[in-house]
Amino acid sequence: MELLMPGIGLIFWMTLSFSLVLVILRKFAWKPILATIKEREDYIANSLRQGKRIQRELADLDATKEKLLAQAHEKAEEVVQKARQDGDQIIENARKQAAEDTNQLIETAKNSILAERKAAEREIRNQIVKLSVDMAQKVIKEEFADVDKKNKYVDKLLEEIQLN
Amino acid sequence: MGFKGTVNTRIFMKHMAGIIIMTFVIFAPAVLYAEEKDPEKSVVQESAEEKGFDAGKVIIDHILDAYDWHLADYGDTHISIPLPVILMYEGQWHFFFSHKFDHGKSAYKGFRIASEGPMKGKIIRVLDDGITPDPHASFLLDISITKNVLSIFIACILLCWILLKVAKGFTHCGSRKAPSGLASFFEPLIMFVRDDIARSVIPEKDVYRFLPYLLSLFSFIFFNNLMGLVPFFPGGANVTGSISVTLTLAMFTFFTLHIFANKEYWKHIFNTPGVPILLKLPIPLMPAIEIIGVIIKPLILALRLFANITAGHMIILGFVSLIFVLGATGAAMGFAVSPLTVVFLIFMNFLELLVAFIQAYVFTYFSAIFFGMAVPEEHH
Repeated sequence: MELLMPGIGLIFWMTLSFSLVLVILRKFAWKPILATIKEREDYIANSLRQGKRIQRELADLDATKEKLLAQAHEKAEEVVQKARQDGDQIIENARKQAAEDTNQLIETAKNSILAERKAAEREIRNQIVKLSVDMAQKVIKEEFADVDKKNKYVDKLLEEIQLN
Repeated sequence: MGFKGTVNTRIFMKHMAGIIIMTFVIFAPAVLYAEEKDPEKSVVQESAEEKGFDAGKVIIDHILDAYDWHLADYGDTHISIPLPVILMYEGQWHFFFSHKFDHGKSAYKGFRIASEGPMKGKIIRVLDDGITPDPHASFLLDISITKNVLSIFIACILLCWILLKVAKGFTHCGSRKAPSGLASFFEPLIMFVRDDIARSVIPEKDVYRFLPYLLSLFSFIFFNNLMGLVPFFPGGANVTGSISVTLTLAMFTFFTLHIFANKEYWKHIFNTPGVPILLKLPIPLMPAIEIIGVIIKPLILALRLFANITAGHMIILGFVSLIFVLGATGAAMGFAVSPLTVVFLIFMNFLELLVAFIQAYVFTYFSAIFFGMAVPEEHH
């Protein structure tokens, strides 16, 4: 039965020491410990949340990058296309220009050749005339010795020239 | 591998339980016989009989509180630490050390440790002959530093020291690093009390109001349970197996509960909702039952802890005594039985380690449940 008899002294000292333990531990042990644990939990939760957010942002960024890249590609394609077109245009123009120039050149050449020919013809005619005169002179000189014979010949020559 | 291990342990425990029960069936009559003989003994007879081994007396003496801290016996000499006795009798304080009582054999200043009667083991006022209790003695206030009190002091100091170190470890590590060393050992225990005890039964908004108390309660009980299992100074006192201590702890739970209890709780006691009015009005049957419940709850807490820890100590001491009881019939018998007893003892000690944790858990968990009941959600 002694086992079940509470003792006043023990209860008194127990109450005193346990109250002290409660107060001391509450203030100096549990408060900092629980605060640290809570802080750490919050930190971990925050980090996880942040990680998730960054992941999402990264995915967004990836999508944007992809889109930008596609746009850039398109643009580049366009630029190249345009350049090619421009180039073609330039080449075409150049070709046209060249053709025109050539034609013109040919025309000029033709004209000048024609003029040249006319001049040459004239020259040749003059030359012929001069030669004819010279020849006539010579012939006359020669023929004056044998006038009759020669007159006939001259007449024949003149006739020939006139025919021409 | 782990699964196989647990199965083996279970089978082992099953057999163990059988063996333990058997041992006690055989052993119990000896204890009972010893106890029956007890009251008839006079002081003179007792000293004459000390040569023989009285297991019941040894066990009870180890479990009960004492005015000195018994360390060992050497022949007929008791080696013990005398503890301060503080008494107040008729307005006068008396301070002296307990060795003046000569282990209960003599009186000092008219006080004596009662060897029989309802006050057995406590200090009583005696007449001038130094033996007869004073029949006209008035109230004697005894707040001596007994074995249990000293053990509580030591436990409190150690507990505070350890936990303040743990707190320092926590604040040192900060919230950006995992705790190391002592703190990392305590963190799972703290998390266990917070998440598996407090949060599971107390509404979230009130958890942090009760948590420091629950943590202190858990660590105090657990630590003292463990100290009680250490067989030598400064352990070995049966602190959590003392009804005074468990009652005090239960009272702390009781007062904490009623300080924080909300309106809903009181309404539930005095005007229980959902109960026919006839059970409340002419005769307040329901309130009476509820109030009995309020008182019984802490009492059960106290009794459960007390009974479990005391029983554990008794069993361990019983196994130790077994060697000497059988040894008294012949040295060979004592030696023969001791290996088996040691095996049982080791097993019991492991079981008691488990019980130390479980009982701390149960006391804290039930306190938490009562707190949870004291702060129910307000109904609108």
